[in-house]
Amino acid sequence: MPEPSVAAATVHAGSEPSPFGVPSRKLAMWMFIVADAATFAAVLFAYGYVRVANPDWTRPFAVWPSIVNGVVMTVILLTSSLTMIAAVLAAQAERRAVAVRWLGATMALGAMFAALHLREWIAMIGEGWRLFRNPLGGTPLVGATFFSITGLHLLHVVSGVVVIGVIALGYRKSRFDAGHLETTGLYWHFVDLVWMFVFPLIYLLNVR
Amino acid sequence: MRRYVIVWLGLLGIVALEVLVTLVRPPTGFLLAALLVLAFIEATIALLYFMHLRYERRVFGWSLVLAVLITVVLMDHFWFDAFRLLHQRLTTP
Repeated sequence: MPEPSVAAATVHAGSEPSPFGVPSRKLAMWMFIVADAATFAAVLFAYGYVRVANPDWTRPFAVWPSIVNGVVMTVILLTSSLTMIAAVLAAQAERRAVAVRWLGATMALGAMFAALHLREWIAMIGEGWRLFRNPLGGTPLVGATFFSITGLHLLHVVSGVVVIGVIALGYRKSRFDAGHLETTGLYWHFVDLVWMFVFPLIYLLNVR
Repeated sequence: MRRYVIVWLGLLGIVALEVLVTLVRPPTGFLLAALLVLAFIEATIALLYFMHLRYERRVFGWSLVLAVLITVVLMDHFWFDAFRLLHQRLTTP
């Protein structure tokens, strides 16, 4: 038996404009961002509850070097969002070489952020912090929440740097267009947006 | 590009404000509230300008924001319930 309804649906879907007025690629990225935002909201909510429920919560971060390091990392990540926008604007103006250079700058800033973050981790591990060990004698949840939340964010940063690299290579070889850069940029700005919550809630709320 | 540089400077200003509020060392409850408000302002600016939500159709932006808000509200509601259940545990004889 023929399936006219399937064919009709395909034609209909192909001709119907998007109700949101955005390309499907961009819509898919936004759907991913919404789902990922829910993931980060869940871990930050869980952290918020255990943080507030423990009046003797250990505050591991000194203004120097931890908070200063965190501020530098924040500035780097915010600047990388700006370079990503510069790359998208250059791509939309058909200036390929300039766009690739800005993508390179974004990758460099992302790598710098990851390096500073790993340095922070190594210093904490050197002080005896582990996923389930608190060297200062308080609740071990401090290490668990710190390493899991910042680790999840760091994973997003490293993945972002790799993805931007792949997109930059493809864009240079004309396999990708400005739309691909814009969609990748959405992801990168989202990584930046998550840090806007991680930095104050994990670092600033736990200053000695 | 100039508009984005201004937004970037504004975001850096909010980060500076967050650090300043922390260094004043207010009570934890006040600090948490202040940092959350500033983080939400920062995130809204990033969503509107860096992620271009301001230039998309309004229905699209609201669909996304409402989805996240409903999820967060549900988390807030049900996790409180988990605390209630924790206190209802029967003690071993």
